[in-house]
Amino acid sequence: MAGLTLRNVGKRYGALSIIKGLNLDIHDGEFLVLVGPSGCGKSTLLRMIAGLEDITDGTVAIGNRIVNDLPASKRELSMVFQSYALYPHMTVAKNLAFGLQNFKMPKAEMERRVAEAARILQIEKLMDRKPRQLSGGQKQRVAIGRAIVREPQLFLFDEPLSNLDAELRVQMRAELASLYARLGTTMIYVTHDQVEAMTMASRIVVLRAGKIEQVGTPQELYTRPQNLFVAGFIGSPKINMLQAKVDRASGEAVATVPGLPAFSLPTLPSADDGLTLCVRPGAVHIGAGEVMTQGTIRLVEYLGNESLLHIALSSGQVLLVSDNGKTSYRSGETISIGFDRSDLHYFDAAGQRVEPIQNESRLQ
Amino acid sequence: MLTSCALQRDRRERNGRILKHVFLIGVSVVMLYPLFWLLASSFKPENEIFGSLTLWPSSFQVENYTKGWTALPMSFTTFYINSAIVTVLSVIGNLISCSFAAYAFSRLQFTGRSFFFALMMMTLMIPYHVVLIPQYVQFLKLGWVDTYLPLVVPRFLASEAFFIFLMVQFFRQLPRELDEAAMIDGCSPFKIYWAIILPLSLPAMGTAAIFSLIWTWEDFLAPLIYLNDIKNYTVPLALRLFLDQEGQSAYGQMFAMSVLSLVPVVIFFVLFQKLIVRGIATSGMK
Amino acid sequence: MIKRFIARNAPGYIFLSPWLLGFFLLALGPILASLYLSFTKYDMVSDPRWVGFANYEYMFTRDRRFWKALEVTFTYVALAVPARLIMALSVAMLLDKGLRTIGLYRAIFYLPSLLGASIAIAILWRQLFEQNGVVNQVLAVFGIEGLAWITNPDTSLYTLVILAMWQFGSPMLIFLAGLRGIPRDLYEAAEIDGTPKWRQFTRITLPLLAPVIFFNLVLQTIESFKTFSSAFIISNGTGAPADSLLFFTVYLFNEAFKFFRMGYASALAWVLLLIIGAFTAIAFLTSKYWVHYENERD
Ligand SMILES: Nc1ncnc2c1ncn2[C@@H]1O[C@H](COP(=O)(O)OP(=O)(O)OP(=O)(O)O)[C@@H](O)[C@H]1O
Ligand SMILES: [Mg+2]
Repeated sequence: MAGLTLRNVGKRYGALSIIKGLNLDIHDGEFLVLVGPSGCGKSTLLRMIAGLEDITDGTVAIGNRIVNDLPASKRELSMVFQSYALYPHMTVAKNLAFGLQNFKMPKAEMERRVAEAARILQIEKLMDRKPRQLSGGQKQRVAIGRAIVREPQLFLFDEPLSNLDAELRVQMRAELASLYARLGTTMIYVTHDQVEAMTMASRIVVLRAGKIEQVGTPQELYTRPQNLFVAGFIGSPKINMLQAKVDRASGEAVATVPGLPAFSLPTLPSADDGLTLCVRPGAVHIGAGEVMTQGTIRLVEYLGNESLLHIALSSGQVLLVSDNGKTSYRSGETISIGFDRSDLHYFDAAGQRVEPIQNESRLQ
Repeated sequence: MLTSCALQRDRRERNGRILKHVFLIGVSVVMLYPLFWLLASSFKPENEIFGSLTLWPSSFQVENYTKGWTALPMSFTTFYINSAIVTVLSVIGNLISCSFAAYAFSRLQFTGRSFFFALMMMTLMIPYHVVLIPQYVQFLKLGWVDTYLPLVVPRFLASEAFFIFLMVQFFRQLPRELDEAAMIDGCSPFKIYWAIILPLSLPAMGTAAIFSLIWTWEDFLAPLIYLNDIKNYTVPLALRLFLDQEGQSAYGQMFAMSVLSLVPVVIFFVLFQKLIVRGIATSGMK
Repeated sequence: MIKRFIARNAPGYIFLSPWLLGFFLLALGPILASLYLSFTKYDMVSDPRWVGFANYEYMFTRDRRFWKALEVTFTYVALAVPARLIMALSVAMLLDKGLRTIGLYRAIFYLPSLLGASIAIAILWRQLFEQNGVVNQVLAVFGIEGLAWITNPDTSLYTLVILAMWQFGSPMLIFLAGLRGIPRDLYEAAEIDGTPKWRQFTRITLPLLAPVIFFNLVLQTIESFKTFSSAFIISNGTGAPADSLLFFTVYLFNEAFKFFRMGYASALAWVLLLIIGAFTAIAFLTSKYWVHYENERD
């Protein structure tokens, strides 16, 4: 087991820069999840760590050892691919043992590990089959099995569950989580799926265009997104964003948002020209809140345990409101909605988070 | 109304199909007739070969075969052994060297890869006649003339770029993640080639082996130039000797030996038709 | 840095090394050597003697056989390539649609291509077109008196063209693969619009097949320029009768290995290389005007 240190890591294809000077410390035994929009460089970064892509700038260290020039075969890590990448011409048993043979492991030890992995993943009955005789979920188990028999110091996963159907994905997610609990090995996990990221991660790294936007625990990212991008990216349904003008004429900072009544702002370190206010759909209440307004329901998405209402304000902006789903609403209805100012996130014109200065009086 | 229309169309289509079959069968007969004529003539008595369209011999002259086999100063046993040696070595050389090159071109990263690939593709165009003279001079200086080395050694140096191209086409279809997974599983590039790429490319290897075999078996120019002593002759060179003795008019024997020289090719064709057809369709060759 | 460069490139070059060695020793080296030899007089007994452009000068100004060889080869290419391709395309189109059992036909039509390069077939061909050969007997059935096709200089080349046509199998297979790639619904749409069959061919089949036709054309042209064995056998190794089968390759072979005029033969070899190179280049340079690849369109 080992931690991982990235220092000014960069990747260029000719003039095109894909990864731009990343710094990141991944702790020993951590489950780190990489998220970000498509094409932001998640796979590239993971493959650089694996040794499948050259590192054009900076250094990657596993433990204390800089591995830039170490080929993938010597990095003592395992990787699970989105496409599974099982060797089509080998049986499941051979697929599992293949890596161990390459490391010249004694036969008895090899057999013990393969049997152990098969038991953990419940694929004992499949050992003599070829990959094409397996279902997607079974293939995924074998792929994971192939990774764990190696007992590596580091696991890499590139969207391992994205080819599975929804139900299997939930099941495999739970199995991966329990596998992590059992092994405690450092894992780096790339995903598109919010739920996977939130439920499994010790920490999440949000990447955009080859740069880190924020690193933190799922809770930190959700409750204190450092910038507008992270605020918009983490959390589903998506956070509501309101453009506000700040008026200081009366001596106190007052926010005017089209479609909402003006309301006073807490003291912000730098709240001048433009301010973006964000509020999660779950923090907007029907018929209650410090700041209240009227809106017309445009669309009701009933999801069972909640309803997602699309509510148009008089300015035309649509807010997402998540309701407990117990009352039924019809589109076209006009209702009043509101939120508490403590649930607002504030971002300056540059999109960076600004924290209200806490201990001053906030009520008008 | 509708059904009668459909019936009519059905009938028209069926007639069209029958017409097509008739035509294709006609073409097939024309295509195959020369081959059957060759086969038939190889069993005919000398005086029946020319002057009649009948394929069936009045009596089967198996002597054409037995006599033909030993009609030349050396028996055909020698020629077949020679041909077999050259062919087997050539096929092995082709498979090893071309799959190496194809693996490098299709799966490995290195500076100059596309440059060399372009060069390789250009060599496909070069006629053998252009490199023949300097090669001959060189092999002569090495003392290789009248040995099989000039025929075989180039095969171990991937001289038939065509097979590289064929294998590259195939290797490229294999998912790259397989190499990567193997790399992470601790494989060296050679191990990946040996344990992953080759086992997954058996159809391509088979196609290359069959074509290489047939072409070497039929090869005429290189043996013609490099082999002087009749005891080194391959089968095609031996067949040509019959022509030189044409005056003695042993047509039946010549045809009999011609038939025998085609037998291995036909057998391989029948056995491996699928591989051959697919190989041509995917790579496009001669 | 250098170590890293080597480590990254080593596997590629190691695997490439047999080919690289072969490329330098068996292709590039000989081509350059042959260029040098083409400016010399060389009989393999004494060392090559530099003669400047004398070989080329003789070739272009005084050597009638050179011009004859060019004429024979170009005539052959001009006849054999279209004949073979038209045959291949027609049969491929017949096989492509509406027939369930094409496997057997495909095999029958391909077999001659596979056997075609063998000496046995060349020998057979000689006999088929003899004065008392099969062809004349068939003609006699229709009351036509045949010729000695092979020994008549006016007709000998056509026997080889027919041999080329007989071997239409591999372009046919490539055409078949190409036809398979044309989406069926294009024809169905045309059928519904009432487009006549001929226009379906010129408006759908031909344009979509253009890349395949191009590919076959280039390949077959190069192959035809290289034709040797059959011409050599049928003409008794000399290009006879009356040089009517004096293929360029046959001429070259005789100059080199019968008369040991290695310098002159090298010059011939370079002319052949340039001709084939020029044809390939022309094909590729003009291809953008008449070959449209599927994915280029959108
Ligand atoms: N060989 C290459 N040459 C040039 N650009 C490349 C190459 N490989 C990847 N890229 C570019 O690098 C960027 C990052 O790709 P990467 O695969 O890492 O994205 P990703 O975050 O994994 O996306 P996804 O979520 O869709 O898998 C993309 O814009 C891609 O186009
Ligand atoms: Mg990716």
